Amino acid sequence: MIGPLAATVAAPLALALAALVPPLRPLARWFAVLGSALTLGVGAFAFADLAARPGADLRLVESHPWSTTFGASLAFGVDGLGAAMLTLSGLITLVATIAAFRESRRPHAYHALVLTLLAATNAVFTATDLLVFYVAWEALLVPMLALIGLWGGEQRRYAAIKFVVYTLAGSVAMLLLLIVIANTTAANGGATFDLPRLASMAPVWASTTVLGAPIARFGFVAVLLACLVKLPAVPLHTWLPHAHVQAPTAVSVLLAGVLLKLGVYGLYRIAWPLFPAEALAWSPALGVLGLVSILWGAFTALGQTDLKRLVAYSSVSHMGFCLFGLASGTVAGALGGAVQAVTHGFSSAALFLLVGVVYDRAHHRRVDGFGGLAGPMPRFAWLLLFASLASAGLPGLGGFVGEFLVFAGGFTANGSFPAMTAAATVSVVLAAAYLLWTVKRVAYGPLGDPQHGTFADCDRRERLAIVPLCALLLVVGVWPKPLVDALRPVCEALLTNVHGAAR
Amino acid sequence: MPNWLPLFVWLVPLSAALVTGRLPWRSAGAAHGIATGMLAATTALAVWMTSIVLRSGGTFAGPHFDWLDLGSFSLGVGVMVDPMAAIMAVIVGLLATLVMAFNAWYMHDEPKAARFPWQFCFFVFAMLGVVLSDNLFLSFCCWELVGLGSYLLIGFWFDRPAASADPEYQATKNPDPRGVLEHLLSPAHAQLKAFVMNRVGDAGFLIGIGALLSLMVTAGEHGSVLDFVRLPGAAAAAQSTTFLGLSGGQLLTLAALGIFCGAVGKSAQFPLHTWLPDAMQGPTTASSIIHAATMVAAGVFLVARCYAMFPADALAVVGWTGGITCLFAATIACVQWDLKAVLAYSTVSQLGLMFVGLGAGDEHGGRAAGIAHLFTHATFKCLLFLCAGAVIHAANGLQDLHRMGGLRRTMPVTAWCSLIAVLAIAGAPAFSGFYSKDAVIAAALAHATAAGGAAWGPFLLAAAGSLLTSFYMLRWWIRVFAGEPRDDSLVEHAHDPAGAAKWVLIALAPFALSLPWTTGDWLDRALRAPHAEHLHAAHGQAVVLASALLLAGAAAALFLYWWAVRRDRDTAGALASRLRPLHRGAQELWGIDRLQDLVFTRGLGRWFAGRCARVDLGSPSRLRALDEAGDRRAADPLSLDGAIDGLGRFFGGLARRGAVLHGGRTGAYLAFVAIVVGAGLWWSVLR
Repeated sequence: MIGPLAATVAAPLALALAALVPPLRPLARWFAVLGSALTLGVGAFAFADLAARPGADLRLVESHPWSTTFGASLAFGVDGLGAAMLTLSGLITLVATIAAFRESRRPHAYHALVLTLLAATNAVFTATDLLVFYVAWEALLVPMLALIGLWGGEQRRYAAIKFVVYTLAGSVAMLLLLIVIANTTAANGGATFDLPRLASMAPVWASTTVLGAPIARFGFVAVLLACLVKLPAVPLHTWLPHAHVQAPTAVSVLLAGVLLKLGVYGLYRIAWPLFPAEALAWSPALGVLGLVSILWGAFTALGQTDLKRLVAYSSVSHMGFCLFGLASGTVAGALGGAVQAVTHGFSSAALFLLVGVVYDRAHHRRVDGFGGLAGPMPRFAWLLLFASLASAGLPGLGGFVGEFLVFAGGFTANGSFPAMTAAATVSVVLAAAYLLWTVKRVAYGPLGDPQHGTFADCDRRERLAIVPLCALLLVVGVWPKPLVDALRPVCEALLTNVHGAAR
Repeated sequence: MPNWLPLFVWLVPLSAALVTGRLPWRSAGAAHGIATGMLAATTALAVWMTSIVLRSGGTFAGPHFDWLDLGSFSLGVGVMVDPMAAIMAVIVGLLATLVMAFNAWYMHDEPKAARFPWQFCFFVFAMLGVVLSDNLFLSFCCWELVGLGSYLLIGFWFDRPAASADPEYQATKNPDPRGVLEHLLSPAHAQLKAFVMNRVGDAGFLIGIGALLSLMVTAGEHGSVLDFVRLPGAAAAAQSTTFLGLSGGQLLTLAALGIFCGAVGKSAQFPLHTWLPDAMQGPTTASSIIHAATMVAAGVFLVARCYAMFPADALAVVGWTGGITCLFAATIACVQWDLKAVLAYSTVSQLGLMFVGLGAGDEHGGRAAGIAHLFTHATFKCLLFLCAGAVIHAANGLQDLHRMGGLRRTMPVTAWCSLIAVLAIAGAPAFSGFYSKDAVIAAALAHATAAGGAAWGPFLLAAAGSLLTSFYMLRWWIRVFAGEPRDDSLVEHAHDPAGAAKWVLIALAPFALSLPWTTGDWLDRALRAPHAEHLHAAHGQAVVLASALLLAGAAAALFLYWWAVRRDRDTAGALASRLRPLHRGAQELWGIDRLQDLVFTRGLGRWFAGRCARVDLGSPSRLRALDEAGDRRAADPLSLDGAIDGLGRFFGGLARRGAVLHGGRTGAYLAFVAIVVGAGLWWSVLR
């Protein structure tokens, strides 16, 4: 009998298969709703448990035998971060399904792919076995490749292949790491991929060398590379604007809302726990990388002329906060990075949905091609302003919590971090500039095009997708305590481990 | 004091915003009524709170709870009330109530009027948060929300075009709008500018908070370290702390300057002042509250709130910034021809004066004087803007001082109320400005005498600014209300505000007198203004000096704009051409607006960001090709993405070359075999 976490992987897969059965095809979108709602339910349950009884331990643990040769098992369990990410995955997929509810091109295949993607991301977020993690990590490229490559815009093939090659190249070293780990654990009392056990073997990774370098160094770089591409961190980010521009709205929502979080999750789950000493040694450099991402992403977003590209670069900037916060080596910073990952999921998804709303009506995404949409579309304008302010980190809305915690962590950290944090505050100005300037150009001023005066405001389905995200941004912004309570033990344990490894 | 009282004062405006925001769009009257009533209730609660606090004289700590606990420190949400906060809350509530009542008349034929109450109430809620907050973190949050409130109100007419494309504006503007960038002048742009420029200050504010946090954490403090009551502790901790090579004292200065940086943005101090005149694009009633009790007042209030942690060197920066702004803005106000622009620059100048007061230090009475001026200024500036609103309403949107004049005949109430306010801001005896402004100048003088050297700077700048204040404010009043009508149709159609709106003006007028503020020295005692022999001496000198400045400025204004005009002489014009470089410079706003537009909007915002985008993804032609169908993609190896594509192409080409070897061509196979064999031979035999 499988437990709830395995069900979040198995059920979407089963539903995906069911959606392809010809008589059941018309129900495909309802299967997608069901699969994401199930994920959301399990995630919310685990999250509520962790928020009520905070702890760094794994909950809903289950394990099924898989391969005794490799010591791999289908093992699942979530801590605070995993539960938050699982909930996010379910929620964003649900929202994306609502956004794509009227998909007319082969809807059954589309929804089956979305369900496959959901199963893979859920497996990444819940796996406590490195091999399962890796398989899911790579497997989710397949549905994503198809979703962008088949349902995307004019240059969909270019964007899809670029995305896949980029991410595969990023994680190829991780495969080597897996082989090394299998060999090393086999030589050290039984092959295993169990993450908690691998984490407890940190001295082994530091002392065993492969090709002249300790496994820890090689392994950290391998995982880091895979995560930095996914995150994405500058300069490994240029697949993102293409993928976002070419992907249909709902896939952009999945990409920004869930897929980018895999990079953050990998850092928190694999890189830092397994190789704490390396993490500590690399922190200053990663802080610089985070800072560069924050500022470069913000400046580049300011210079964009395409709405989707603009939101894509704002993602680069905001995900830079996750890296920067974690690298700062403070509880506040790591916590801020994790919170930022969650709230960015909400705000970027909302922004992409709103871009989709105008694209559906105007059939273009040029920032300068609009103006005055607040007149014919007041609800849209308010939602756009709300999501932009949340993304720009207005207090009381989601984006602020993570950002402020990262700042607080950075300022109280050691070394060059306070100075770098001071530089990062420039992004506060830039985020307001590129987001509110966009709001101004799209929604305010006189009507840019007389034909836009007839645009219909957001309809019920669009609101059903966007409003819950905005509501969550408000809830997290005003009352982040449950989220922080659930995430804090994970971050504390993580940093205790890292700082302990230094001694 | 009941524990819930300050919390209610803070949250009633929020509930007013929620209630009025949910009303249907058509019921503007009901929304205004409900909002006025709830704001009046807030005021009543604030008065009650103040009466309790003033009687006990101490600081009352309201409810406080941890918003987030981060182990080494926590971020709290809580309220505290001391006399300064309580009086400020009353002023915010009172002015908000009156402005809301006035607005019901002001917007009676405005289709969007129903939006105003909730945005306004939200704004008041945010400001009261800054006033009543008990820690720097909550202050920062509310501070940003104040920014949002102003964003909404400034952009109230968000669909209006830029001034250069607005026929209505072009028809009614004054003929000589120098320095104003008309193509950028629209409500939608003004709100963006206000928010972004405030965020420039807020970035500094964040650094200040960060410096304070690291100071406290390094000093081993725990818990809610950003509480205001612990700031003296921070100053003490700074004596014995070092952090990353910075001594505790330096860290404290950094924290103070960072917080002051936030205040520079919000209180429109040089060089971040340019958003405030542009914010005139909002409704005049919104300007009235922005310039009086909320928004710009927040910066001054916050510096006073954090006074315990301001070391002398930071206070010197505060004083100098205030002095420079005071004179700088006053010179611009002297040559403006826009009804509201004069008032806008006068606000900037007066805020500078408040910072001069704060910069003079507590022992010279600077803190109390600056805050007292904040309070008195709030009331008379609110009155001035409401009067300006009445004039603009009567003149159908006209704001050009060239065409006004003689309006006292048809708008007597407005004329006399605004005269009282003008005399107050000029600092005439028996008016409130006389009391507070003289206190500021006395404090600056006492500080300058005591410290000597550079400390004379703020004092002299403030004195020069005060001289100009009486000049430009009287000029403003004479041009609008006195003399003969310059536009008969304007004067004929003009009328005083109707009903309650008129009574709002009359109700505000008494606060421009000094009596309500000085009776029994209640305000001085509430603000704990120090009493010392040398301060009394400075006060005596300041009264003489300020009166002389007032008389000189007033005499010049009367001579130029009343006496000379009555004799049909253009003495003002002649003087302007005699002082051409100065006059021109002030008209051009000393080039600051243009410079900021060049460096930030066009330089950083467009050029640099555009470069970044290009370096990242490639040239526009490449991007266009990427948006269209087809396989043609323009290469751009000079961009990051183009270079990565180039890498892909390189390996693609390599692979295609390699593929030739497996293409089934015998020649290629033979050549390959020959090469391999040859290389093998060389390796094994010939080497």
